[in-house]
Amino acid sequence: MKIPTLALLLALSFNVHAAGGHNHGVGKLDVSVDGEQLTLELELPLDSAVGFERTPKNDKERAALADAERLLKDAAALFVPTPAAACTIDSVAVEMPHAGKPSESHEHADIDVRYVFRCANPAMLKSVETALFKHFKRLYRIEARRATPAGQGSARLSAKQAVMTW
Amino acid sequence: MRTRAILRIARLSAFSRRSTLVLTLAAIALATALLIGVERIRHDTRQSFVQSVSGVDLVVGPRTGAVQLMLYAVFRTGSATHTLRWSSYRALADHPAVAWAVPLSLGDSYRGFPVLGTTPDYFAHFRYGDKRPLALRAGRVFERPFEAVVGSEIAKRLGQTIDSRLVLSHGAGNDLLPEHGDKPFTVVGVLAPTGTPVDRTVHVSLESITALHLDWAGGAPLPGVNIPPELATKFDLTPQEITAVLVGLKQRSDAFRMQRFVNAFRDEALMAVLPGVALDELWDTLDIFERALRGISVLVVLVSLAGLVATLLAGLNERRRELAILRSLGASPLDLFLLLACEGLLITAAGAAAGLLLVTDAAWWLHDALRSAFGVELSTLLPSPDEAWLLAAILSTGLLASAIPAFRAWRMALADGLTPRQ
Repeated sequence: MKIPTLALLLALSFNVHAAGGHNHGVGKLDVSVDGEQLTLELELPLDSAVGFERTPKNDKERAALADAERLLKDAAALFVPTPAAACTIDSVAVEMPHAGKPSESHEHADIDVRYVFRCANPAMLKSVETALFKHFKRLYRIEARRATPAGQGSARLSAKQAVMTW
Repeated sequence: MRTRAILRIARLSAFSRRSTLVLTLAAIALATALLIGVERIRHDTRQSFVQSVSGVDLVVGPRTGAVQLMLYAVFRTGSATHTLRWSSYRALADHPAVAWAVPLSLGDSYRGFPVLGTTPDYFAHFRYGDKRPLALRAGRVFERPFEAVVGSEIAKRLGQTIDSRLVLSHGAGNDLLPEHGDKPFTVVGVLAPTGTPVDRTVHVSLESITALHLDWAGGAPLPGVNIPPELATKFDLTPQEITAVLVGLKQRSDAFRMQRFVNAFRDEALMAVLPGVALDELWDTLDIFERALRGISVLVVLVSLAGLVATLLAGLNERRRELAILRSLGASPLDLFLLLACEGLLITAAGAAAGLLLVTDAAWWLHDALRSAFGVELSTLLPSPDEAWLLAAILSTGLLASAIPAFRAWRMALADGLTPRQ
């Protein structure tokens, strides 16, 4: 009796989560570890990064976009894996919205970034800390998920709790 | 020396007033049992759920809820309402990122135990606990239709051994289900205990499940049609549909990408769940219930300790003479304070110990019931470090609470109890 009731309650809460919508102020971070490779996939609502969502209209907005892109490329400043694991950044791929083609102004826009680190000592890799909240004040939460040799899990990161551990 | 004397007096004095104190002690014991019990069930539920999946990167099923999919695909409680097509399974299994994909077909049962239709790959890839593979205690894995591998609990409870015959029921439940009486199964293997839902599962091949339902339609046997087992194997037994798929990936980092691929699958509405992530999200949602439950148990402990204070305070009145005599024999006000504090601590300690015993006993008795009803394995029989903290908190609160009557005894004047009252 107990489990079906719980399941029903939870199914409700889950669907909200699984809908995978776009939520201003809420970013998504997928962390995975394979051998010595640490991959971080970040999805950041454009609004949380620069304060607007439409195609940039003036120089100021274009400059804000460029700043955000430059900052997001600086992996070492934004993410700190467990120091003992000795991880160094291998590649960063930033996908900015509105790159080139102007899009419909009503659409939601996200910045997608993929960071790949190489870790000399992956056995010691137990956490990733992010400084995203310091740089993007409009970002107040990150829904983080992880798939590591220790298993899978999820966590809710915020300015107060900016470390994901496993 | 002095402390020993005080302890001795406290013990003897308490013993002479045992009838009232036993009630207080019982209240503390029940409250402790509740607090520790809630904590254990919380811990063991998480533990047994986490233990049941390891090494599976994705669980794929028809689009329902993540929890529902996990409940039936991994924990074998609840029921599958939809199915997925065999062609979707093939597409998934052939995906370049996929290392292995094990199909699961649920729906039939054997005397209330779930029957799982799968492939021999299940035994090769399934992991539980700390990535431990399944082991056969006797026999072998099924090879032909109508062969079954049973979990250890089924073997134990129903006395199944190699060559035992099983008649499966259609659907999950007890006695009133239609039976697959014409096609009995032979047990060819018994699994070693795992402490997971595998122990309560009958494993058969997917082909057996198809063969069972050849002469069925709409959940009942077709009247006048009866395909004997020898003939059933001559049909094409590739299943049309299954209930879920367990997926292992070549690269762990593909899990998130693969999940998006499945969720956006063109031919059919499918969903993929990362089991560990789903469980974490489940605990996250349950957190508020757990806190409420823990808050209530803490309140119950406080109420029982308030009862202790009330009993000790009420006792002070009848013990005026006793305390006054102690004073006149040379006991200092501090000694009386210690006497009362010791008495409170002794009762709290005895109550907490009794509560711990009670909850351990209850776990022992409810073990089987909890396992078969909810798939929850109660593993802890000894207090964990967390529980030690709780017990310490109960003891110190008890000591603190008994300081109130102790302070009253300390303040009592020597003359107070010796002056004859009217």
